[in-house]
Amino acid sequence: MLDIQFSTINKTYKPGLFKKKVTALTEVSFSVTTGTVFGLVGPNGAGKSTTIRLLLNLSRPDSGTITVNRAPVTDRDFLRQVGYLPENPYLYDHLTLTELLRFAGAANGLPAAQIAERSALLARQTGIGHAMKRPLRTFSKGMRQRAGLCYALLHDPTLVILDEPMSGLDPLGRKMVCDLILDLKGQGKTVFFCSHILSDVERLCDALAILDRGRLVRTFSDGEMAAFRQGEASLEEAFVAAVSAQAEQGGAA
Amino acid sequence: MMRRVWALAVVTCREGLRDRSLYGILLFALLVLGLNVAVAGFFMRQLGKVTVDMNLSALSFAGLLLVFFIGINLMAKDIDKKTIHLVLSRPFSRGEYIWGKFFGLVLLVLATLALLLVFSCATVATVRGLYPNYFDGFSWSIFFWAVLFIALQLMLLCAIVVFFSAITTSSFITLIFSMASYLVGITLEEVLFYLKSQAAQGEVIASESLQRLLEVVAWLVPNFAAFDFKTEAAHGLALDGVRLAVNAGYGVCYAALVLWLAALIFKRREFN
Repeated sequence: MLDIQFSTINKTYKPGLFKKKVTALTEVSFSVTTGTVFGLVGPNGAGKSTTIRLLLNLSRPDSGTITVNRAPVTDRDFLRQVGYLPENPYLYDHLTLTELLRFAGAANGLPAAQIAERSALLARQTGIGHAMKRPLRTFSKGMRQRAGLCYALLHDPTLVILDEPMSGLDPLGRKMVCDLILDLKGQGKTVFFCSHILSDVERLCDALAILDRGRLVRTFSDGEMAAFRQGEASLEEAFVAAVSAQAEQGGAA
Repeated sequence: MMRRVWALAVVTCREGLRDRSLYGILLFALLVLGLNVAVAGFFMRQLGKVTVDMNLSALSFAGLLLVFFIGINLMAKDIDKKTIHLVLSRPFSRGEYIWGKFFGLVLLVLATLALLLVFSCATVATVRGLYPNYFDGFSWSIFFWAVLFIALQLMLLCAIVVFFSAITTSSFITLIFSMASYLVGITLEEVLFYLKSQAAQGEVIASESLQRLLEVVAWLVPNFAAFDFKTEAAHGLALDGVRLAVNAGYGVCYAALVLWLAALIFKRREFN
């Protein structure tokens, strides 16, 4: 079980030498409860991927703390329980999917038999079983996304982090991802995912946060999400209202 | 920990072995070895020495091309294309990543060298069979020692490549720094020796401060010339066991130090 806590996170970075610092996140605080599907949405450049990179300790905040089960993310032990699918995953070109998954399993200390069993199961679930022996460089965008999902889920993680998981997928692929997320939720796992597709977010998420230009502009609780699901309110309208309000505030400042 | 390092090393080696540029490098080395057989008859008297020297140079040059043009990409591409995000989202420490990449490169170099060595031995044996009179001083054991030290030299170069990949953001910069380190490391010993011998004869070519600077640089940059036993192999000169042990120890310690430093710096690096 993994509880995630972001407390007043600030993050800036330099896009290049002799270039001005760019603010990626400002005073961002939120928490994710174990066993929920948490959505992080926002326009392009809002800071969603930065948030994920900070959580995975690929990048460090300028100030503030990020904890998983009250331990700072710098203790990388929690990564044993994390599965991560980046946006547009770039996988090793010359490996086959079988080899990639064998690597993923070995990295997590799984025995060979379990790796083979999980690989076969996930390949079936994601519909990529026919391409297990093909080099990954020959995969289409949608196939890479499916391969990335297999990589993320191979070790049966407790926390699944998905950055734009529907990107590049056809309608069947999108349905497969939705079913997969609901299945993970059913198993009591925590899913943290970023998406632009509000209908998917509305359908899947128990809690939601909207980021815009590095600031957390709105959060929605389970009750509010239920209202969206039942059609009592529109997430799209709420999203537009939150982002517009932030834009007006930014303009006024 | 070892399982993770090994898993990454295997993946890195596989990526390198399946890179098409490798076939070009292998073909080039095989052409040089074939050329050796074809033109051997032109080198009367020195034929044995030229054959051994040409073979060892072909192995060494192929190894250099491999490290510079395939090896550098194997780590830099991970960072450029963000594959490293996938790897580091697993319970890899940054140090394990550095060591995994290093061992992967070393495995790739060893596999390629082993293949080329088979052809090289065949070439030497063929020329020796055709012109046995010119191979009086030749010894297979010295030849194999020379090949082993080429492998050690390339291992050290792999550590340098990993170090520069860990601290720079571009594969081009890594290539420039690694090549510069190699060129300085392979020539500096000779330059210093020349300056000292000229100074002993009372002729001052470089100022004292420049000589001091070169001596400091000689301590910092790895001495790649210490792994060059081509002359001994070509002339069949006996090898000093202590010298072999000291030079091998130097290579291993230098590589370990460079990798430790790389891991230290890499730990602080951010991936945005």
